[in-house]
Amino acid sequence: MNQIWGSVEQYNTVVWHWPIAVYLFLAGLSAGAIISAIVVKWMKGNDVSPWDGIIKAGAILAPVTIGAGLCLLIFDLTRPLMFWKLLIHYNFGSVMTIGVLALFAYMPVSILFLLGVFKKELAVDGPFKFLAPIADLALNYGKALEAITLVLAVGVGAYTGFLLSAMNSYPLLNTPVLPALFLASGVSAGISANLVVGLLFFTHATKDANVSYLHGLDVKVIFAELFFIFILFVGMMYQGGATAHAGAAALSTGGLSTLLWVGVIGFGLLLPIGLNFALPHGVKHSHAFVIFNALIVLVGVLALRYYMLYAGQTFVG
Amino acid sequence: MAKKYAMVHDNNLCIGCQACNVACRSENKIPDSVYRLQVWVKQEEYPNGSLGYEYHRQSCVHCENTPCVSVCPTKASHVNEDGIVLVDNDLCVGCLYCVAACPYQARYVHPVTKAPDKCTFCHESRLSRGEEPACVTVCPTEALTFGDLNDPKSKINKVLSERVTYRQKERLGTKPKMYIVPNHKGGINS
Repeated sequence: MNQIWGSVEQYNTVVWHWPIAVYLFLAGLSAGAIISAIVVKWMKGNDVSPWDGIIKAGAILAPVTIGAGLCLLIFDLTRPLMFWKLLIHYNFGSVMTIGVLALFAYMPVSILFLLGVFKKELAVDGPFKFLAPIADLALNYGKALEAITLVLAVGVGAYTGFLLSAMNSYPLLNTPVLPALFLASGVSAGISANLVVGLLFFTHATKDANVSYLHGLDVKVIFAELFFIFILFVGMMYQGGATAHAGAAALSTGGLSTLLWVGVIGFGLLLPIGLNFALPHGVKHSHAFVIFNALIVLVGVLALRYYMLYAGQTFVG
Repeated sequence: MAKKYAMVHDNNLCIGCQACNVACRSENKIPDSVYRLQVWVKQEEYPNGSLGYEYHRQSCVHCENTPCVSVCPTKASHVNEDGIVLVDNDLCVGCLYCVAACPYQARYVHPVTKAPDKCTFCHESRLSRGEEPACVTVCPTEALTFGDLNDPKSKINKVLSERVTYRQKERLGTKPKMYIVPNHKGGINS
């Protein structure tokens, strides 16, 4: 199809750009960080202070990364000064409204978790003494709040996938497995970020047993991600027609397919698995290796968000 | 009774002259860089080797099941009582979810308001005065027919009863109210 008269610039199918990819990354990371912190807290029985460095890392990372992501999201609107209308006008059929409401609930509970974990630093010895009653509340109702937080975090992690999969204009995004893939990779990013922050900033508080536990969990999540990516493309092939064509193009065309094979699958997923099996026990349990491994996983997850957003909008069949 | 406005684009009558495109720009004061409506051309080679042209009207198709309205978080994107898909600028935050979700690429960001804009069937101007949309009025070959699907006697219902029509991307279940009379040669690529 050729135009006869007039610019075709407005017909570019790429509508959302890199800030959205970074937001999707940060939202997934935030959810994953608090999920893995709560999982460590529950599974390892760390019910009272002193908290493990990983729990501290998750408590900081969850509100900070979601806050940064939301700022990015607001400034990416074409009418950023109107963003408050999102908070008072709802469309319950829109994934974006559901996301806004989930974040409404998620932000306060993630801040409560932070206050509970850092009660001593913030409300006892720190400048926020007036928040002490709230920190006590967070600790007294810890289990219940953590259960609610866990559910909301899963919601936030999955919603970033539903946000894209709701659009039937883009065959690569309009797949039922996308929310599961984004949730899994968000958990992987959260685990990795917790390991990096825990080992670098709370070195003495971070127990080696917990590091091994989370690192082992991460490898399992990475296998799940690989399987989800496989399901996504095989599903597109089975649908045939324009969808199969878009899937084949997304796997084989241009810099984006290189990003998928090298950045997402090679560097972000296969390399961590490979190193985990190939390296001797002593090396792979060293802090330096765990941090290095976590950093490549984080780069891989960011690459996945970037690839899905751009390839999804580029290969429309 | 509420109206249900729709349009027919006859591929056999269209000559791709862009008079509709220009009339739309003039009537609706569309800024230089953007378009509510363009007519695109596709050269076809038929099985016997002869050549022909297919014309495509690139504009909003005013779906009944509107992906753009479903995704809009503030209901800025909405369908009015006459079945016309519109944007309420006062509610729009500029997330561009509607622009991305539209399978017909009907929307663009207005360079001044920064809100998505699109074909409105001249709802705010000519239609409110009881006139047909500018593109329909100006078409030199009468390739466009506009009218109310709820009125059995309307011109559009006459065309829809007498001609073969199809709609773009019907598989998506969007139920567009933009009907196309296909070229009577060759196949149909919906």
